[in-house]
Amino acid sequence: MLDILEYVINKVSLSSKDFLDIRYAYAMGESFTVRNGRFDSVSNQTTGGIAIRALIDNAWGFTTIVKTDKESIFQAAEKAMRMARTGSKYTKQERSISDSWVFEGKGATTIEIDPRAVDKEVKFEKVVKTEKAAREYSDSIAESSSTYQESHGNEIIINNKGTKVENETHVIRLMKNVIGREGTKMQSVFDSAGGAGGWELIEKWDPEEEGLKAAVMAEKLLIAKEPPSGKMNVVMDPSLTGVFIHEAFGHACEADAIIAKTSVLEGRIGERVGIEEIYVYDDPTVIGLRGSFAYDSEGTKARKRVLVESGILKEYFHTLETATALGMEPNGSGRAMNFNVTPQARMGNTYVGGGDMKIEEIAEITKDGVYLKDSYGGYVMPAKGQFYFSCQMGYFIENGEITDMMGNVGMSGMTLEVLQNTFAIGKPWEPAFEGTCGKGGQWVPVTGGGPNLAVSNLVVGGTE
Amino acid sequence: MTTEENLHDLAEYVIKYGTSLGADQIEAYTIFGSVKSIQIERGSIRRFTDTSNSGLGIRVIKNNAIGMASTTIFTEESLEKTIKDAYALAEVSPPDPNFKSLPYDPRTAPTISGRFDKTIVDISVEEFTDLILDSIQKATVREDAIISGNFNAGIGERYILNSEGIDRFASQTSVSGYLGVKIQEGEDIGNAYYYDAATQMKNFDHIKIGTEAGLRAQKMLGSQKIETTSLPILLDPDSAYGTISPILSSGINAFSVFNKTAFFVDKIGDAIASSKLTITDDPFIPEGTDSAGFDDEGVVPKKLSLVENGILQTYITDSYTAPLVSIENTGHASRSSFASRPRPSPYTMNIEAGSVSKDDLLADMKEGIYLMSSSIHSRGDNPQVSAQINQGFYVKDGELQYPVKNAVIGCTIFEIFEKIENMSKETENRSGHEAPWMLLSPLRVSGGK
Repeated sequence: MLDILEYVINKVSLSSKDFLDIRYAYAMGESFTVRNGRFDSVSNQTTGGIAIRALIDNAWGFTTIVKTDKESIFQAAEKAMRMARTGSKYTKQERSISDSWVFEGKGATTIEIDPRAVDKEVKFEKVVKTEKAAREYSDSIAESSSTYQESHGNEIIINNKGTKVENETHVIRLMKNVIGREGTKMQSVFDSAGGAGGWELIEKWDPEEEGLKAAVMAEKLLIAKEPPSGKMNVVMDPSLTGVFIHEAFGHACEADAIIAKTSVLEGRIGERVGIEEIYVYDDPTVIGLRGSFAYDSEGTKARKRVLVESGILKEYFHTLETATALGMEPNGSGRAMNFNVTPQARMGNTYVGGGDMKIEEIAEITKDGVYLKDSYGGYVMPAKGQFYFSCQMGYFIENGEITDMMGNVGMSGMTLEVLQNTFAIGKPWEPAFEGTCGKGGQWVPVTGGGPNLAVSNLVVGGTE
Repeated sequence: MTTEENLHDLAEYVIKYGTSLGADQIEAYTIFGSVKSIQIERGSIRRFTDTSNSGLGIRVIKNNAIGMASTTIFTEESLEKTIKDAYALAEVSPPDPNFKSLPYDPRTAPTISGRFDKTIVDISVEEFTDLILDSIQKATVREDAIISGNFNAGIGERYILNSEGIDRFASQTSVSGYLGVKIQEGEDIGNAYYYDAATQMKNFDHIKIGTEAGLRAQKMLGSQKIETTSLPILLDPDSAYGTISPILSSGINAFSVFNKTAFFVDKIGDAIASSKLTITDDPFIPEGTDSAGFDDEGVVPKKLSLVENGILQTYITDSYTAPLVSIENTGHASRSSFASRPRPSPYTMNIEAGSVSKDDLLADMKEGIYLMSSSIHSRGDNPQVSAQINQGFYVKDGELQYPVKNAVIGCTIFEIFEKIENMSKETENRSGHEAPWMLLSPLRVSGGK
């Protein structure tokens, strides 16, 4: 395929300041879900095609095709260029891609046991046993489900500046979701394992233990107290710290929002955004994590990004375009969900650096507040600097002690306030939240995490 | 693969080949979409996109077990592999005792007028751009307004064939767009957006997108944090539809009812809301963005009364779930993508208006919150609600005082339904969804003050 793409790149007529890239993306996936004792969905998915972007005279043109012959790709490239030229008549901003960055190489997810070689019965057993262990625990379990997913992708990225990259990704995931119900009260418990890699990442998942753990928690939550309401001190567990930093800060660091002037962090590089002890980084090169990759969808080699060091904003997530516009270095953040869409500035594995306090010490200085656990998703409005995230459960903190359990609740905060309001950082923990991040209709695998983190003045949206 | 004939031939081939492999039943679901998109950044054009995409989803049933496979690649080799994959998965999957049969429906699907507009298909990039530039101009309420957004115009086609005799085709056009506007005065940020969608170009109000986005951004300046308290909530039609629709969708879909996770299990004939709530689900609204003459399994639906004066009337079903809840197949199968298994989902909900004017609802509010395009709903299967106020105003003595920031409404979906105090007599249609203004009795509001 690379030779066909090279042929097209060499054939199209471009000036030296123009940019054109061609991305071949092919992905195969397998997934199945067992719900309440029945196989709910057993499926294979294949997607494949070619994406072509052209940046000419400050405007982009973009098209996709599924045919992979030279002539069809060439025609599509011409179409993308025509669209860019038409767009250039209307645009008022300057846009370009620097000639400085050329990447060549091959990357691949480290994989020990290829899931495609694992017998389906073995895969089925993981979900069947997980689901069953949870379902049979108690009559209060209304629904138990377990899902297995694996996906395998190949990307070839080539551009007229000289980049030629081939990248192979493998992502695996095993999930459990348990819903407890007593009358109108319902509580969900969700957890997953896996990452970028092979069967080895879920091989140690003990189905009976995992299913039971979720069911026990779901039942406990049915009799847990209602969460409180109002502004208060919030201590987050590592999973919640992950989704918190992802929503509160990560999205606002995405440089496509910076150049569009729709992030509150625009122009704040070098400014203090958090207390001295705050260290925030994103690293897509960590082997095994769900948000890891070797090259992004523009062919840029992935590297660790230090977002905040000693409380000072250091770096944004860049695509080739944003790095050019801001005079910074690209850092491998241009991710695309599939061949049908264009790369956007995205996160990979976003973490808060660890401190040295034990959870008991954090509770003691928190005095009164809540200790919240396990991510339940979130979103952010970067232009406004307001974010929302939620947890699956938590505990009250009263007089410095962790006390009664509470159910799920959501929280609201302001991006420019929260890192300044951090007052305690725990010892680093490894467990991370494993998620799928949505932006502009594209969903990509990510993780987040860090230590227990204590923040004052977060708004907790409970009912009491 | 852009013609009806090609997609139909492809689906027929799938049925024949799958049957020859030994499938007991088989279904082919094919889609084709062609979309022109224009992205706006800082008030001018950033990117033109022109893409055409196809997809095929196959469901094979063998010995009551179901296997599914999908592809976007329509070469003969890829098609054969996809059919074989689905068949192989059905062969290795355990049987599902609840599966009865793929559907058959001999009725002629009604033709819904106004679902196709050749103007949208034929619009040139230049014409579409001119229309968007008008919208941007309206949104430019100040020189320094930061305007971003996206507009789409396209056509979608779907074919559904199965081995039981279903053979359906539908096509529709759509045009949609949104603009976000940000205005900044020092640290004070006014940020808002507005969107519209239609199946006919004549119904697409691109001028209003710009005008409303700009006006709302100006209104959002001067936001303040509020105290934690309990306050009545007045929802604009967009917020009312965005609140009621997802709660009811999760609450009455027969798949969740069967699994005992629906909010309103065993509640047919019971009060699930205040008597002010009456809702119908209408698949056949002319020019409706969510209208359809048949569902995603090819079954013809009908207009349903869902809630009448607060009393739940029925659940919504598809071929799999109808026998499980002992209700006829209401034709509500819906797929999130061509690769997905269908689940019951509503078409267009019509929330019945009240008798009070919207102005009186606001004027009578001593203290409360007015929500603008900011719905209150929970995560799918969880009745606990913690919903951030994205665009809302603090109300005092019947007047909007200032926009609210950093606030969360905490309640349950049951409370929301019970606390519907009144509906306005006026309704507003946003993107094909018509709803009145809706007043809720006090709910807990957590504030950052």
